[in-house]
Amino acid sequence: MNIEIKTWDIFCRVIDNYGDIGVCWRLARQLAREYPFEVRLWVDELDALKQIWPTAQLCGQQYAEKVDVRLWQDDFPSEITSADVVIEAFACNLPESYLIAMKRRVSQPRWFNLEYLSAEDWVEGCHGLTSVHPQLGLKKTFLFPGVTTKTAGLLKEKELLNTSDEFQSNEQTKRVFLQQFGVQVAPDALLISLFGYENHAVASLLEAWMNSPKPIACLVPSGKILPDVSKALSRSLVIGDDVVHGSLQIHVIPFLNQDNYDRLLWACDINFVRGEDSFVRAQWAAKPFVWHIYPQDEDFHMVKLDAFLHRYLNTLDTDTQDSIAELWHQWNRGEDCAEAWNSCLANLQNWQKHGQDWRHHLNSLGDLASNMVHFCQKTL
Amino acid sequence: MKTGQELRAGHVISIDGQPWLIQKAEISRSGRNTAVVKTKLKNLLNGYLTETPYKADDKFEDIVLDRKDVTYSYYADPMYVFVDSDYEQYELTVDELGDMAPYIEDGIDDVCEAVFFDGKVISITPPNSVTREVVYTEPSVRGDTSGKVMKPARLTNGTEIQVSAFVEIGDKIIIDTRTHEYKSRAKD
Repeated sequence: MNIEIKTWDIFCRVIDNYGDIGVCWRLARQLAREYPFEVRLWVDELDALKQIWPTAQLCGQQYAEKVDVRLWQDDFPSEITSADVVIEAFACNLPESYLIAMKRRVSQPRWFNLEYLSAEDWVEGCHGLTSVHPQLGLKKTFLFPGVTTKTAGLLKEKELLNTSDEFQSNEQTKRVFLQQFGVQVAPDALLISLFGYENHAVASLLEAWMNSPKPIACLVPSGKILPDVSKALSRSLVIGDDVVHGSLQIHVIPFLNQDNYDRLLWACDINFVRGEDSFVRAQWAAKPFVWHIYPQDEDFHMVKLDAFLHRYLNTLDTDTQDSIAELWHQWNRGEDCAEAWNSCLANLQNWQKHGQDWRHHLNSLGDLASNMVHFCQKTL
Repeated sequence: MKTGQELRAGHVISIDGQPWLIQKAEISRSGRNTAVVKTKLKNLLNGYLTETPYKADDKFEDIVLDRKDVTYSYYADPMYVFVDSDYEQYELTVDELGDMAPYIEDGIDDVCEAVFFDGKVISITPPNSVTREVVYTEPSVRGDTSGKVMKPARLTNGTEIQVSAFVEIGDKIIIDTRTHEYKSRAKD
């Protein structure tokens, strides 16, 4: 590959939770690992990085996974030179002095605004369009991750699918992975991971699981949803707790780093995920999943949820479509999920097969990092 | 200053020192309560059209353009000369005539609007309708008086336009300059 670009700067502001840093850290790692690039990641909150990558240090500069990680502070150093490619993640607004450094370069850097993932139609009409900075004249291209051919695709490391397939085909590997958290489940149990934002719908779901004819084992990584699980079970749960109620076994596990979270998704039969990064990983895991979308003002997230459902479900039979859509809606509205859950369970085989088909479709789109590199080379 | 989310069709903003007319601005909600504004822009200096996205919080210098009423005076190859009420003259190339170009001919008295940027005329906007004479068209189709059947006609300056089938050579017609469409025959 004839690469004429060498250095990359990725700017990330942590708004809340781990979605912003999750995407940026994954992208930085992939670019540094799979290409001969020097990658700098500027992040304004290292605590968030430490959650998803525990060996990260809380310091001004460090190298992790071949990535030069810098703490992005308000007084941005004026002597920093701009990279060949600049990624402004999620419209985070670059420092003024860095913009001036970009302007000073003999050849303008390729500047991308990496947007949030959305399956809405308008995204296709904006993906790849370029705007000119009103004051500085620098050109910036808007890139939209997405699930159609007219978007930039999703983040996916080169070896992801092979690694996932190997893991999923080896029962022993799965068992060893779960054992490190002290998890032992009945061989015939339906294994579910439960990761989400605060959600009143948890109680109805847990009740459905307790009354399930089939044993259910639920792994809950420590996080925002845990207090609702505790409330539903009328007991305070902490990491390591393992409780049984009727057909349901609940095990609380630590918040996992990115690599282990992937393994959790691969190990489970159904995954409840949230936000953006875990949502994407669940799709690559090719298992049935339920998405708790980041809530927005005026319920605007429901428009985005439906846009994704429309694309995700459109090849399925009507009965399976309806049951999945109903469960996702109830879950995101915080309403009683029991009936929708039982309906989904009746269509589980279709849903499982669809997970594979959907992954195959996504894989045909390439991956976000490669598509970005290709875009840079094409526009050189 | 205006932010991206305040942009509306008809606003003129400065981008990299040049005046751009916003023809369309559509705002779409992105993630986490952010938004993207997709604009259709026209460069008022060279007529270049582009589709461009901006962030909702991008900042733009708002441009208030000077405007004056002018009328066409004469042609001084290769410039078209317009004059305002103070007899100040303004010379424009054919490209700068923009939407007025198809309707330019000697002897017209249409009051046009000249738009200025940095003291220079950058465009001429014709009135919403102008009256022009048809110098050639095929004979009328007998029996059709509905006005729905159209045929081509040529104006004095060579411009071609679709007119109702009953329009004849020598008729004066009213044209909508915004759509370049025939509206009706002019009454004498």
